[in-house]
Amino acid sequence: MIRLEQATKFARTKGIKKPIIDRASLVLQRGKSIGLLGRNGAGKSTLLRLIAGTIRLDSGRIIRKGKISWPLGFQGSFQGTMTGEQNVRFVARIYGVDTRELIAYVEDFADLGPFFKAPVGTYSSGMKARLAFGLSMGVNFDYYLVDEITAVGDTNFKKKCQVVFESRLQDSDVIMVSHSTSTIRDYCDCGVVMENGKLTYYDDIEDAIRAHNGNMRER
Amino acid sequence: MRVVAALLIREMEARFGSKPGGYVWALLDPAAHVFLMTIIFQAIARAPALGVSFPLFFATGYIGFQFYQAMATYLNGAVKANRSLLSYPSVAPVDTIVARYFLQLGTTAVVAIVVLGVIVAWMRTPIELSWPPIIEAALVASTLGLGMALINNVMFLKYALYEQVFSIVNRPLFLISGVFFLPDAIPHPYREVVLFNPLVHVVMQFRVGFYSEYRAVGLDMPYAYTFAFLTLFIGMLLFTSSSALLRSE
Repeated sequence: MIRLEQATKFARTKGIKKPIIDRASLVLQRGKSIGLLGRNGAGKSTLLRLIAGTIRLDSGRIIRKGKISWPLGFQGSFQGTMTGEQNVRFVARIYGVDTRELIAYVEDFADLGPFFKAPVGTYSSGMKARLAFGLSMGVNFDYYLVDEITAVGDTNFKKKCQVVFESRLQDSDVIMVSHSTSTIRDYCDCGVVMENGKLTYYDDIEDAIRAHNGNMRER
Repeated sequence: MRVVAALLIREMEARFGSKPGGYVWALLDPAAHVFLMTIIFQAIARAPALGVSFPLFFATGYIGFQFYQAMATYLNGAVKANRSLLSYPSVAPVDTIVARYFLQLGTTAVVAIVVLGVIVAWMRTPIELSWPPIIEAALVASTLGLGMALINNVMFLKYALYEQVFSIVNRPLFLISGVFFLPDAIPHPYREVVLFNPLVHVVMQFRVGFYSEYRAVGLDMPYAYTFAFLTLFIGMLLFTSSSALLRSE
C-alpha cells in the first residue's frame, strides 16, 4: 500500500515556484495496477519519483508498504568502465538479493553472450537496454514503476520482455506513466489523473481515461 | 550498511580496477612525492629539521597531512560522482560519503604502513614507534576531512563560486601545515598564527609517534579535537538539513 498525505511538491525554475502536486491525499491499494494520466508537464514523472523516494516532498508525507522498484529499464547508473556483470552485482548487493542468482538470471535474460563480461561502455544502446530490462526483471518488487514503457530490442526480445513482465505482474503491481492510452489499458486496473496539482483517483481505468481525454479537449 | 559495503566495493573497482597497476598507484604516488621532496631538500639543506633522515621527516609530514587532504579531496565529490546511483531509492546521499570515507581511510593507512615501514626498516639507527599518537593524529585528521567534505558536498551544490574559492584556499594548505618545516622553529608572533591551523597540530602529533625526542612545542591536541568535531557536527547538520537538495537533480 502507498499512501500520500497532504503531499505537496513545488517546481522551481528561476524564481518561479509552481505547485506540481498541491496537498494531495491518496491511497493506492496493493493488488491494483495504477496508470498515471495527465498532460505534458503535469508532474507525472515527478510523482513517480516521489513514490520511489528518490526526491523529497516539500511538505506532507508518503507512507510506503512494500518494495518499490527503480524506474523500469533505468540505465543511468551503469558505470561504463565496469562490466555488465559487475554492474549487476552492485545492484544485487544494494538490494540484498542473492548475487549469483541475479547474475545468472540477467546473463540468461539479456542474452549478451561474451559481452556480459565486457565493460558496459562498449555496449550498443540496444545491449544496454537489454541489460537494464533484465536487471529490472531480476529483482522481485511489490511495485514496479514504469515511466513510458520503451520497447527495446528486436521483435523476439520484445515478446520475451512482455511475457516476463506480465508474469511478474501476477504478484506485483505496476505504477505506470504513459501517454498511450492503449498501453495503460493493457496493464492498469485503476487510474490517477493529474491536473493543476490535483490528483483524482478512479477505481476504473476507463473512467480515468475518459476524464483525462475530457481535460485534453478543454484546453 | 549493506548499501555502504556495495558502494565501497564499487568505488574500489572503479578507482583501482580501471587502470593497469590498480592499487599500486595509490602507493606509488605518495612514495614518489616523498622521494622528490627528499631529493630537492637534500640539495638545499644539510640535515632535516628533525632527526637525521630526510625521507622519514617528509614522509611523516606528508602522510600525516594526507589523512586530511586525500580524504577531503576524495570525499568532496562523493555525492556528485554517485549522483546517478541516487536513482536507486535504497541509496542515500550519505551512504556515498561513508563508503568513500572508509575506502580512503584504509587506503591512506596502507600507504602509511608500507611507505613509512620501508623507510623505518632502512634506517641505520632503529627508531622506537609510539602508536597512540600516530593513530590519534590519523583519526583526528580524517574526522576533519570528513566534516569538511560533508559541508563541501552541500556548499558546492548550492554555490558554484564557493567551489572555486575553496580550491584556492585549500591549495596552499600543504605549504602551511608543517609538512616541510617545524612550527617550533618559527619565531614568536608568526608561530601563533601558524598554530591556528589545526592541521599543524595533527602533523606534529603524527611526528611525535616517530620521534621520541621531539618536544612539539605548542602542540595542542584538544584544540585539534575541538576543531575537527565541530566541523563534523556542522557538516552533519548541514548535510541532514539539505537532504532534499542532495537528492534533487
